[in-house]
Amino acid sequence: MSANALLDGAVVYYAAGGRWSPHLADALVAVTEAEAAGLETARLAAEAAGAVVEPEIAAVATDDAGRLVPSHVREKIRALGPTVRRDLGPQAAGEHLHVSL
Amino acid sequence: MYRYDEFDEAVVRDRVTQFRAQVKRRLEGSLTEEEFTPLRLMNGLYLQLHAYMLRIAVPYGTLSGRQMRQLAMIADKYDRGYGHFTTRQNLQLNWPKLADVPDLLSDLADVEMHCIQTSGNCIRNVTADHFAGVAADEVEDPRPTAELIRQWSTLHPEFSFLPRKFKIAVTGAARDRAAVAVHDIGLRLVRNDGGEIGYKVLVGGGLGRTPMIGKVIREFLPRDELLAFLEAIMRVYNLSGRRDNKYKARIKILVHEIGTDAFIAWVEEEYAKLDGPSVNADPAELARIAAYFAPPAYETLPAVSESFEAAKARDPDFARFAATNLFPHKVPGYTAITVSVKPIGAPPGDATSDQMRVLADLAERYSADELRITHVQNVVLPHVRLDDVPAVWAALVEAGLETPNAGLITDIIACPGMDYCKLATARSIPIAQEIAKRFADVERQALIGELGIKISGCINACGHHHVGAIGILGLDKAGVENYQITLGGDPGEQAALGQRLGPGIDADAVPEAIERIVDTYLEIRADPGEAFIDTVRRVGLDPFKPALQPTEARLEAA
Repeated sequence: MSANALLDGAVVYYAAGGRWSPHLADALVAVTEAEAAGLETARLAAEAAGAVVEPEIAAVATDDAGRLVPSHVREKIRALGPTVRRDLGPQAAGEHLHVSL
Repeated sequence: MYRYDEFDEAVVRDRVTQFRAQVKRRLEGSLTEEEFTPLRLMNGLYLQLHAYMLRIAVPYGTLSGRQMRQLAMIADKYDRGYGHFTTRQNLQLNWPKLADVPDLLSDLADVEMHCIQTSGNCIRNVTADHFAGVAADEVEDPRPTAELIRQWSTLHPEFSFLPRKFKIAVTGAARDRAAVAVHDIGLRLVRNDGGEIGYKVLVGGGLGRTPMIGKVIREFLPRDELLAFLEAIMRVYNLSGRRDNKYKARIKILVHEIGTDAFIAWVEEEYAKLDGPSVNADPAELARIAAYFAPPAYETLPAVSESFEAAKARDPDFARFAATNLFPHKVPGYTAITVSVKPIGAPPGDATSDQMRVLADLAERYSADELRITHVQNVVLPHVRLDDVPAVWAALVEAGLETPNAGLITDIIACPGMDYCKLATARSIPIAQEIAKRFADVERQALIGELGIKISGCINACGHHHVGAIGILGLDKAGVENYQITLGGDPGEQAALGQRLGPGIDADAVPEAIERIVDTYLEIRADPGEAFIDTVRRVGLDPFKPALQPTEARLEAA
């Protein structure tokens, strides 16, 4: 589950313990249906609480090294920043380099 | 140029104060996101993929040097040192922080600028011909009309909650550079047989998922009756436009569903009921507004500038720039320079704060302190002496703004697409960059001639793909970006919607397909003077269809 931070709109991921992390690697992943239902419950709660904006759930896969990779190009772009400005967004900090487009 | 009066100033300052309190309440948690969203949108603040995005209104695309310099300061102070010029002649910032926006709006208000009505279901920023007051084929400068509409429509209580957003464009010239036929209302200043000036009124044009060409509902509306007639149109739309379905809520759907004749009858009936004099602007007020747009004090100059001609003869790069990026000015010895914000391989319409400052300096020094933002996402210096063009060009070269491609195949309109936009289904900018790189050769661009490529990253069509001679629409096909190509679109006085050439293709196939389309055109055009759009009009789409076939299939077929 990702959302945008209220203060600056930056992409954040729902992580263990109910906190929001700027790192995709921290994202809590639902594997089973029960976990998916739990994530949806958390999404509704996050929406109601309003500490973040527009929480949504997206599909991810893991690569050979066990790292999270968003399934859809839109989520990859959210994880990295604009593909036309490599100097901006999370990619600028050298993070999420494992997410290839 | 228009200057705020005390009322304009008070409206803008009050809005900043209100929004400051609203942001505070949102951050404190006393406003929910659901409550806050419409408030931020009323101030042009969107939430995009990576950050907030702020859309700053540039009324009818006209700016002073001081305003452009302030935009540069704001881009540095609150954003990442650049901005994006849009197809509504506005400027968008891609990275403002929510808590900073009230201060940002206050800095904008210092130079008589704001973000009011750049979003929401209201009358949006009124656009106009970017060569207003310059073009020789002009009946009248459209900007006093646009400014009058701005004043009338700003915070208009009856029209602040329309069924959907509402866009108005005005042109005063024979050649339509404002795309009036694809606006909710398009106004063309015309002169009747009696020599009086009035408006030809088009209604129901638009792009998006249901593109339509506007219908003429009045061949000649006397100038003094404008606001009451607009009010009649808006009232019919406000009452009868659909509110049950967002995708059918624009006025174009209403006009289409009930038919042009019925729509005209409704508007005329409403118009007859209105108390015109209580709505229409006082002629004295019209004159007051028009005075702000009086031409600058031009010098009396010869039509031919010896120093300009000598510079062209001396420097082929300058000659190339002069051939493509200058527009004939109605005053002898002057020209309007289109500064291309489309360097080959760069995001179309993105300018750095340094470039904005250069443009501000050039406007102040050489162009009567005026700049125009074009709906093609470029910037115009509207009143430059031919004698000064070499100096302006030298400054543009230094700033990386000298690309000689105005109106050519690399002068591409592209929306922000999925690199920034939450609504996008595909990326637009990388497609534009790759096409531009493929056609980078200036000689080849000149050979191809005038050709507008317009790219949208979703069906909402901010990149105007429907009216591109070549239109490209990015969609999501089972999770992969896929691009549909249309041909034959025209935003001008012969407005036409492009027709789909065939099935969608992958991103990496687009530049090759465009190249084949262009090669086909070069092979079959009647003569070098026949523009791409005219060839498509003459021969139709069939000769271009093989361009979409995969290369292997072509080889096998050969």
